[in-house]
Amino acid sequence: MGRDQWRAALRNPVGAVAAGLLVVLAILAVVAPILWGDAAEETDPAALSQGSTSEHPLGTDALGRDIMLRVLVATRYSLGLALLATAICVVAGVLLGVLPAVLGRRAGRLVTAAVNLAVAFPGLLLALFFAVIFGVGARGAVLAIGLAGAPSFARLVQTNVAAVAGRDYVAAARVAGVGRFRLVARHLLPNIGEPLVVNATVMAGTALLAFAGLSFLGLGVQPPAYDWGRLLGEGLDRIYINPAAALAPGVAVVVAGLAFTLLGESIAQVVGVRAVRRRRPPAADEPAAALARAAAEPDAVLVADDLRVGFPAPGGGWTHPVDGVGLTVRRGETVGIVGESGSGKSLTALAVAQLAPDSAHVTAQRLEVAGVAPLGRADAEVRELLGTKVAMVFQDPMTSFNPSMRVGRQLAEVTRVHERQGRRAALARAVDRLRTVRVPAPERRAHQYPHEFSGGMRQRAMIAMGLMSTPELIIADEPTTALDVTVQRQVLRLLEDVQAETGAAVVLISHDIAVVGQLCERVVVMYAGRVVEELPVGRLGAAAHPYTRALLASVPDLATDRDRPLATIPGRPPDPADRPEGCAFAPRCEFADDACRVRPGLAAVAPDQRAACWHPRTQPLDLALDAVPGGSCDTDRRWGAEGPPEPSVQGVGRLERVRDPLHDPTSDRGAGGQA
Amino acid sequence: MSAWAGNPWAGFLLRRLGRLAVSLAVLVTLAFGMIHLIPGDPVRAALGVTAPPDLVDARREALGLNDPIGVQYVDYVRSLFSGDLGISMTSGVPVSETIGQRLPATASLAVAAFVVVMLAAIPLGLAMAVLTRGGRRRGAELGFTSTSAVVAAIPEFLLAVGLVFVFGVTLGWFPVAGRSHAASYVLPVVALALGPALLMARIVRVEALAVMDEDFVRTARAKRLPPLRVYLRHVFPNALTSTLTIGGLLLSGMIVGTVLVENVFAWPGMGMTIVSSILAKDYPVVQGIVLVYGAAVLLVNLVVDVLLAVADPRSTIREG
Amino acid sequence: MRELSFEGTTVRFGTGRSALTAVDGVDLTVPAGSVVGLVGESGSGKSTLAKAAVGLVPTTGGEIRLDGAPLRTSRDRRKLQLVFQDPHASLDPRMTIGESIAEALPGRRRRAARTAEVARLLELVGLDPARARSLPSGLSGGQRQRVALARALAAEPEVVLADEITSALDVSVQGSVLNLVRDLQRQLGLTMLFISHNLSVVRYVSDVIAVMYLGRIVEAGPADAVLSAPRHPYTRTLLDAAPAFGVALDDPVPADDPRLDAEAPSPHDPPPGCRFHRRCPIGPLTRPERTICAETDPQPGAADRPHRAACHFATDLMEVPAP
Ligand SMILES: Nc1ncnc2c1ncn2[C@@H]1O[C@H](COP(=O)(O)OP(=O)(O)O)[C@@H](O)[C@H]1O
Ligand code: SF4
Ligand code: SF4
Ligand SMILES: [Mg+2]
Repeated sequence: MGRDQWRAALRNPVGAVAAGLLVVLAILAVVAPILWGDAAEETDPAALSQGSTSEHPLGTDALGRDIMLRVLVATRYSLGLALLATAICVVAGVLLGVLPAVLGRRAGRLVTAAVNLAVAFPGLLLALFFAVIFGVGARGAVLAIGLAGAPSFARLVQTNVAAVAGRDYVAAARVAGVGRFRLVARHLLPNIGEPLVVNATVMAGTALLAFAGLSFLGLGVQPPAYDWGRLLGEGLDRIYINPAAALAPGVAVVVAGLAFTLLGESIAQVVGVRAVRRRRPPAADEPAAALARAAAEPDAVLVADDLRVGFPAPGGGWTHPVDGVGLTVRRGETVGIVGESGSGKSLTALAVAQLAPDSAHVTAQRLEVAGVAPLGRADAEVRELLGTKVAMVFQDPMTSFNPSMRVGRQLAEVTRVHERQGRRAALARAVDRLRTVRVPAPERRAHQYPHEFSGGMRQRAMIAMGLMSTPELIIADEPTTALDVTVQRQVLRLLEDVQAETGAAVVLISHDIAVVGQLCERVVVMYAGRVVEELPVGRLGAAAHPYTRALLASVPDLATDRDRPLATIPGRPPDPADRPEGCAFAPRCEFADDACRVRPGLAAVAPDQRAACWHPRTQPLDLALDAVPGGSCDTDRRWGAEGPPEPSVQGVGRLERVRDPLHDPTSDRGAGGQA
Repeated sequence: MSAWAGNPWAGFLLRRLGRLAVSLAVLVTLAFGMIHLIPGDPVRAALGVTAPPDLVDARREALGLNDPIGVQYVDYVRSLFSGDLGISMTSGVPVSETIGQRLPATASLAVAAFVVVMLAAIPLGLAMAVLTRGGRRRGAELGFTSTSAVVAAIPEFLLAVGLVFVFGVTLGWFPVAGRSHAASYVLPVVALALGPALLMARIVRVEALAVMDEDFVRTARAKRLPPLRVYLRHVFPNALTSTLTIGGLLLSGMIVGTVLVENVFAWPGMGMTIVSSILAKDYPVVQGIVLVYGAAVLLVNLVVDVLLAVADPRSTIREG
Repeated sequence: MRELSFEGTTVRFGTGRSALTAVDGVDLTVPAGSVVGLVGESGSGKSTLAKAAVGLVPTTGGEIRLDGAPLRTSRDRRKLQLVFQDPHASLDPRMTIGESIAEALPGRRRRAARTAEVARLLELVGLDPARARSLPSGLSGGQRQRVALARALAAEPEVVLADEITSALDVSVQGSVLNLVRDLQRQLGLTMLFISHNLSVVRYVSDVIAVMYLGRIVEAGPADAVLSAPRHPYTRTLLDAAPAFGVALDDPVPADDPRLDAEAPSPHDPPPGCRFHRRCPIGPLTRPERTICAETDPQPGAADRPHRAACHFATDLMEVPAP
């Protein structure tokens, strides 16, 4: 934990108050016994068991001793005992927690099992148990509380150690020959230090309170010594006569305990991820008029003009990971969006579908999705208007399904909600759609949970979910990135068939330009939150923007010359928080010059092709398109003299026809479709 | 056995019961060992330094403390199985009888508090999660998190003292001690439940917020489901696992937390008895009560594990 | 640099119902000074094989040898160094990159010697030696992967194993790391096992390509030969599926046949006979007379077939018309 973080913890008001309290307590612990130690022992036979008087503001105890002084003086003993118990707890906990990492597999497992067993028992029960063994009194109580806390601390250390031990850098250190002890000292402990410090702080608070509890029960500090808990127990007997005698030590215990706990928590907050702050959206930005595109296509399902998505920046202000994107998708078209991670592809898609995260602020000169202009409308209204018109397919099919709900019900939910269908009819349609996307044994599969599906099958089910109604636009965000190539091919083919059958427009987002090239008619290239080029797939060989060209050249394919180094792009994509002025690609561009200090707009470089560059390239690229010795076109040769096995009949075994999507498909179940 | 092998549930229950048996064995051994771990002669300690040596010896003989330790252990376990927990050193009453009298008071207190915690905390936590999602309502969030942190950090016995002072002494609304009619439950239950309830609400909120960030909630939103359906069908069921886990821990904690609360309210349960027995060095009673608390905690853990297995379709029972 | 060989290497995880053989009797040789590329889909056991070599997972059978001598102790294994996939996870966030690299240097050295060696290594992987004092958090993914390579080289390894080292990188950075790998290999004559799920990437750096399927090597041979005249239907299927420009999706390839399973079977329960038979375009599902595929494991005779292909019909496809 860096110095800055400590400072941040103290800047937090709660943390600052807690730290201030602890300082006061520390001072009291040092000076109170020196100043008032003797006075607190003085008995005053004239003032036995008094209430509050001017001489004794909090009254006196049964022997006539001043309660206020006794509470103040007890600070040292109370804190000291608590810290001692904490130290025992932390040392024992860390030893037990690290042991499994140092010992061999078997012995380690035994320690873990023992700790797990002990953790099941609440601390107080353990403390009572140890208090019996170590005997009633301060020494016994310190040991009891320290040891009673050890198992849960050990467990904490173990989970943290296990998490860190699973990291690649620990594996790397082991491969490099680093020994067990050095591994613990150099890699494990330093990386779990933060949670340990936090928890030790919280533990100190807990120990203080636990100590007070034991003393209160009479099992802790024994007379004539006294701590807060003991004073509290004595005061409680006379709570009707002098409430202050019970309340004062009680308040002292709570305040001190809270000071530790809250300090720990505010440190934890600073260390942990902080929640994104929601802020008022920025005042309307100056319109980026030059970039706006006016002519909207009449048959467009998606028109976005100067789409911007902003997030509150950590240092104040806003950053725009999507910064003025223009995008038009016509009915039935397949458009691919490519770009590296962080270029704003997914955020663009989410913003278009009105699914951007809560903290995001979405603006656009114009945004129309399936004939709906969603910006500025209430959530409920957008839900109502968009309904099932936009289907989404997400990257990770594992996490995109609700793990605790059967797949069939997750699909059926769409029509149940939007078309008010009954349960059985909706489920029947879900089964039908699963069959449509070639999920084998759809009736059985519909009753399974997502984790029982394979990755490719989940992605098919995701697509089937989009087909529960008739979408006008399907947005697929890296739908095949988590899949193997063979499965990727089938999912892409499925998307293609769905597109052909339903006539929906498809937006395919991918970092892999080859994937986009296979499925799409048009490619939109994004860089640093902006569209830098837009061109038909057939013209990829004539890409004009230096970034598009570099992207195409730097990715090896099955035809790349192995004796030549790959083309590379120096540097790295800019962070949206400090995107360079002018052309965002300039720092990495070999053609950059002074003109590039001004942001280039998208301008036509050929019919259907537009690039945002002051110096568009005109030379064709050598993509070795059809000459790939080993590309798919090579199928015949690859399958050898025997020739390839009989190709499957087009359409069969790909998409089972989506039966006329306007009809209720359940009505003609079992019929072979209309193909 | 072979008929069972194919059934993951049977396997899971078998394994889980096996673990319970091991835990119980450890618990019994520790309870037995407690008397022997005490430095010095426990009988001498219990009867005091002035007791005549032949009385001490007679008592040692009666307790079987003069036998070899192995024999003692076997005897102890055997008598446990017949429901015999020994005899109090000070009063001579069988321990099982004492526990039988005291257990209902403690159990009713713990269960009542647990029910209050669950009924209050889950709706509160979910509501706070929905209200403060995505960084909304910073004020409400700060208020909730800091209040709950502060209150949850106050130990139950101090809370009890505060409640006694305000509602018993000052306002005189509720009785401050003893167990009689329903009103006498109010203060002890509140003292026991308030902290855990706030803790639980905090955890439910954090868990629900974490689930709201999951991809499948985005999928649910992409399906344009109404928010209530998203929260009840997609968010809450997936926050259930950790809620259950924490609920079990809290219940265990509350069972033992009764010790302190009982002592504040002079509640005639096991907690009063164990403390006075520890002070009186009446070890057979302490042993018996520790066993009962421990067994209750292990039972709660078992129930929670079974519930978790039922609630989570991916639970480990299928993997083995 | 020396030769690394796997002989019947087997790795099993778990017991009972959850048992699975992640690596099943793998025979593979990485000749001194050459790069062997290992491809296969996720879960086929590539990473497990590499981890077994460096001792991160215990083997349950077979032998791993360096120049014929079995690797037994962790000191032996230090001669193999593994570079991991995720550059963000493979460097200790609390150690400067200089410390991370220095930690892997064998033997005791003076401080100055260590610093000089770290600087040399950083320079070797194309990083400014002044970077030695910075923490990994200040580095990009590509730079971190260079550091990870430098750390592996610091241990003065006989063999470097690279497990998907470009998969987590941005496409624009991947190229420069691949160039570095090739340069280092040529400059230092490294012996290398290069693992990737991406055939094009493997092809670019490898002399020999081995294809893994469900824990087994199903085909291995010189890179050009494997790619231009693959012997195993699985290799062909992989090549058919690789996305390429100018190839439409609707040109069906044999693996699109609807009679075939679309995905790999569960590794917990591999099919009998040929493990690929439920997906094989020329197997029993399309040619019912080939019952042998579903009954007899083709692995045993593999060594005698071209490319050591684990397929009963590998030789049927021998004659490939000249391009
Ligand atoms: N520690 C482990 N415990 C159980 N199974 C594992 C473990 N590590 C890997 N596996 C399994 O082994 C198989 C091979 O995995 P892996 O070697 O990572 O494949 P690849 O690198 O080819 O993707 C997979 O089925 C995977 O789930
Ligand atoms: S505008 Fe300038 S810097 Fe930007 S891509 Fe074109 S040439 Fe390069
Ligand atoms: S053995 Fe049969 S099923 Fe297996 S790959 Fe060869 S032809 Fe296909
Ligand atoms: Mg892998």
